[in-house]
Amino acid sequence: MPERGSGHAVRPLGHEALSVDAGDARTALDGRQSRSSSRWSAWHRLRQNPLALVGSLLALTYVLVGLIGPSLTPYDYAKQDLLAASLPPLSPGHLLGTDQVGRDMLSRLVVGIRISLLVGFGVTLISLVVGTLAGAVAGYYRGWADTIISGIIELTWGFPLILIAVILAGSLGPGLLATTLAIGLINWAGFARIVRGEILSLREAEYVQAARAVGVGNGRILLRHLLPNVLAPTLVMASYYVALAIVIEAGLSFIGMGAQPPLPSLGVMVAEGRNYMLQHHWVTTIPGVTIVAAVLGLNLLGDGLRDILDPRLRQ
Amino acid sequence: MGAYLVRRGVRMLVILLLASIAVFYSLRFAPGDPSGVVLNPLALEEVRAAYRERLGLNKPISTQYIIYLSNLARGNLGTSLVTGTPIGDLLTTYGKNSLILGFTAFALSYLIGIPLGVLAAAKRNTPIDQAATALGILGMGMPNFWLALLLVFLFSGKLHWLPSSGCCQPKHLVLPAIVLAAEGTAVTMRMMRSAMLEQLGQDYVRTHRAKGLREWTVVGARAFRNALIPIVSLSGLRLGWLIGYTLIVETIFAWPGVGYLLVDSVLRRDYPVAQFFSLLLVAVVVFANLLADIAYGWVDPRIRYA
Repeated sequence: MPERGSGHAVRPLGHEALSVDAGDARTALDGRQSRSSSRWSAWHRLRQNPLALVGSLLALTYVLVGLIGPSLTPYDYAKQDLLAASLPPLSPGHLLGTDQVGRDMLSRLVVGIRISLLVGFGVTLISLVVGTLAGAVAGYYRGWADTIISGIIELTWGFPLILIAVILAGSLGPGLLATTLAIGLINWAGFARIVRGEILSLREAEYVQAARAVGVGNGRILLRHLLPNVLAPTLVMASYYVALAIVIEAGLSFIGMGAQPPLPSLGVMVAEGRNYMLQHHWVTTIPGVTIVAAVLGLNLLGDGLRDILDPRLRQ
Repeated sequence: MGAYLVRRGVRMLVILLLASIAVFYSLRFAPGDPSGVVLNPLALEEVRAAYRERLGLNKPISTQYIIYLSNLARGNLGTSLVTGTPIGDLLTTYGKNSLILGFTAFALSYLIGIPLGVLAAAKRNTPIDQAATALGILGMGMPNFWLALLLVFLFSGKLHWLPSSGCCQPKHLVLPAIVLAAEGTAVTMRMMRSAMLEQLGQDYVRTHRAKGLREWTVVGARAFRNALIPIVSLSGLRLGWLIGYTLIVETIFAWPGVGYLLVDSVLRRDYPVAQFFSLLLVAVVVFANLLADIAYGWVDPRIRYA
């Protein structure tokens, strides 16, 4: 049976560059010995990688705006004011202008960012935890647990998320619930897949055998000795998956399958402004550019993290 | 190989069966039933009951499912609730349009992505490489609906060169095909570049160079063939994602394909149509993965099917 090439639709080579060679316990040992200095050198390497720095700044800004922004805005995101419709950015009282029915763009944008944060980070966090646990159990205990978990992983992993989301929208009605459910249902398998592979290759490493020999229990070996070693690849993958979730949420909302108006998801905002693009382009360009910046930032951050955290790529 | 194909075939059937049950049941969970879509909102309860009776909606879901499967097996695909068009007719017209768009985009992403990736690897760390890498990062960071809007804005709104939506002349195909191909091109390019770089660092490449083979032969023929392996192995996955993205791209450009039809039928609660076309797309994805696995063994003779 052929092994499918490791990788994922978003960033296929990311995984390949990440996987530590099977049985290469030396790399893992080196990693553990130099841990005290690794945090400092990681920061040092981040500073030398300008693209990754830009990426992390963009991602950080996005998170901060989404967290704090909605509580600072003076307007209700759904409040229409036809007398103040289609004001261009930098108008008095409306920093980013207003849309075709006079809703304040800035207020809508920050709520839109919060929605995509909730979907992007929230769902990715849950699928990371579930996927890591499932992958660790499958890789460490092998046997029937592995057979079942691997079977489910293979069924779901790589399945077109958008198709699942549309089918779920048919069942639950279009909305954020169907979108988030679809993203979670598919993406945990991506995490489970890498974690299983990494644990499978690390469980026979000498330091694990040593721990076992001195009587450390399975749970402790998994938590203290194995999981820290799979943290790097899962973090890299997580930043790609947050970007993916943000794009999918916006795309589905754009075609009417995700968040429903008047909820100002970035995709909804782009869709509502598209018919007025020739007259007042800012209604679409502001949310559109925001999505691109967030996705670009997270992708650059992922690329940077991969270069920084993967020992094999260090020169 | 034969035994392997049989086993994969059986597994594919099991997946399809499970998927069909999941799709069938989940659409039956949907709030409201088809009588709410088709009949006048003021229709009497007796009329509704008669309508459900006619569609067999009053039977248990498991019975409905078996009836549906046996109808499918006999080639009776049902009709659209909204328009009354037989689903078989929808399949031929919409399916053809989707195939045209999908294959154009799929071919485009490989025809551009592979040569660009090889070029970037061969000219590593030159402006060519940096330009290709920047293009790749941008191509993957750009959501397809946003790219679509920008292209429509430029080529339809400002320049009036191409129509913003519709079907079915070549000029209608240009923008949707570019948008659908964009992400795949970027991914293929990046993958091809990394795979080529890995191959160019191998001992056999040094041997070929040392014995005086021309650089073009080393890069274009020897390293290239080996670098193709990961590309081919992931093509099934890429095809799956392409199918997912057609749902968005076809909807944006009102390209009358299966993706457009599926999104439309879900929004209009045309369940027989939604059900059939979701299942069809699931089947295509599963089948594409099987084909990719077979192609994987074909490009890499070291792989044995056991």
